Amino acid sequence: MSPKAVATDRLRRVLALVPWILAHPGEHLDDLASRFGMTRAALERELSLLQFCGLPPYTADRLIDVDVRGDRVTIRLAEYFERSLRLTPSEGVALLTAGRALLAVPGSDPNGPLARALDKLAGALGAGANVAVDVGGARHLDELRDAVRGGEQVEIDYYSYARDEMTTRTIDPTRVFHAFGAWYVAAYCHRAAGERLFRADRVRAVRPTGQRFEPRPDSERVEELVYHPRPDDLRVTLRLAPSARWVPETYPTEKVVDEPGGGCTVTLAVSERAFLDRLLLALGPAGEVIAPREERDAGARAARRLLARYDGL
Amino acid sequence: MSDRLERLLNLTATLLDTRRPLTLDEIAERVSPSYPDDRTTRRRQFERDKETLRDLGIDISVESLDPFGQAEVGYRIRPERYYLPELDLTDEERAALHVAVTAVRLEGEDARDALLKLGGLTGEASAAVAELPASPVLGDLFDAAARRAPVRFRYRGEERDLAPYGVVLRWGHWYVVGHDRGRDAPRAFRVDRIDGDVAVGSPGDFDVPAGFDPAQLLRDDPMRFGDDRPEHARVLVDPTRAAWVVEQLGDEAVEERRDDGSVVVGLEVVNRDAFRSWVLGLLDHAEVLAPDALRADLVEWLRALANGKAS
Repeated sequence: MSPKAVATDRLRRVLALVPWILAHPGEHLDDLASRFGMTRAALERELSLLQFCGLPPYTADRLIDVDVRGDRVTIRLAEYFERSLRLTPSEGVALLTAGRALLAVPGSDPNGPLARALDKLAGALGAGANVAVDVGGARHLDELRDAVRGGEQVEIDYYSYARDEMTTRTIDPTRVFHAFGAWYVAAYCHRAAGERLFRADRVRAVRPTGQRFEPRPDSERVEELVYHPRPDDLRVTLRLAPSARWVPETYPTEKVVDEPGGGCTVTLAVSERAFLDRLLLALGPAGEVIAPREERDAGARAARRLLARYDGL
Repeated sequence: MSDRLERLLNLTATLLDTRRPLTLDEIAERVSPSYPDDRTTRRRQFERDKETLRDLGIDISVESLDPFGQAEVGYRIRPERYYLPELDLTDEERAALHVAVTAVRLEGEDARDALLKLGGLTGEASAAVAELPASPVLGDLFDAAARRAPVRFRYRGEERDLAPYGVVLRWGHWYVVGHDRGRDAPRAFRVDRIDGDVAVGSPGDFDVPAGFDPAQLLRDDPMRFGDDRPEHARVLVDPTRAAWVVEQLGDEAVEERRDDGSVVVGLEVVNRDAFRSWVLGLLDHAEVLAPDALRADLVEWLRALANGKAS
């Protein structure tokens, strides 16, 4: 941490600590250290520093009175720090968002301590309906979560959007989580013989197999699980009109070159044909494949396939 | 380091305790360990301290001491801008918040810092269940909505004036929703597409319409949110994709279930581009049946693409 960040971090803790001790005289130092996320040594250092703080002219009656007896501490003469510092708007929105997102997860108690805490917080922040958090859901989320909890192997019917195909697979689900606007289940897939991620909203059915599996170590980093282009994936380079700037904003790209006039050229990894077809169909005249050569007419081919449905016109 | 911390604490206490704004000279006289005598260095150190305090959310107000605005300015911390309102949280509620901020992580934010202000961390942390996006301007937009202050920002190269009613997280993105004053219509904007900073106007500037639910503006699919003349579209979906589409649109969208397992869904379209993208996303498993205008739109789009010419 930079010296500035260290000062900010220490000050943040002290300004939170003092009001708490004022309201809870005689707290045990170990309890305080754990509550404020610091070591006991760091806590004692801040308490001895506090004895030199107060108001001018820093005479005994103006300095903060820190009284440590054995393992317990009491503070007096710091009424100006009686209440904690208010939350910044980003802290407020972060707390409300995390809380409301968790409340929206099926199985949360809508009248439990979290809901009560959020009500109090929203009241204090003047925030009622002006923050809404929708993390969506999926029909089989509960069954998948139960399978994770019980370490039970399940059979799923799964629609692979990227490949545009339906499959049935046996999986050992290890984790259910939300990221990038969707729910995922991380699992060992017996069909693919490897770790795979499944979008929960594309799971069409879940059937228990009655088999248990041994939990495997699970990767913590969600991003790493979600996106990993393979070296042998097709790389496609597209020329995009200014109106298609959403492409590099939406999809992971390997290269973006801005062009005069507001457009750009992007290179992205394409693991599945259906992904490229959808992208080109949606882009229409705003996107053009420039490499590789054999994909230049990929959009035209996809369009002709769809047009077959409208032949009567 | 401890000297600096000591001065920051004393500075905060002094500015919070004072009844009138103090000039920098007065501050330097009072606060210990004191600021350097050299005026330039003193000013620089004071500005740095002010910035550190601002990073923590401590707002030092700068006030003119002279009604004619001629004399030096003074500084103080207004108690109403410093103190956290009484929340009266129980440790059980704090523990629930602790679980929430560790289960649901906001990109680049550590909400545990905020919990310190609310009385610290109690109970156990949770394993991560969800990762949500954040944005540097989200706090400003949220605060503007809470205080009913108008905002101005650049969006896709245009200046927008908005009375923000709220912020909504949906489909993995933050949106600010409200009344667009330039367009005189309700609008939603993707927060991560706002260019640069958000300027916030005076609070108490507008009223949120009674019963307004910010999520409502976004509750419908994007294709139902736009400026085009509303049309009722009917789309035939193949058996293999029917269940998925019905789950997406809801049972109430189903107008017909055919014997082969395919369905006809109906939807209100006010955004033709979004509707077209949605239908195209189904590839050759769907067909627009009606109205003729939307069907013709799609065919024209596909023909242009099939013939390799720009439309």
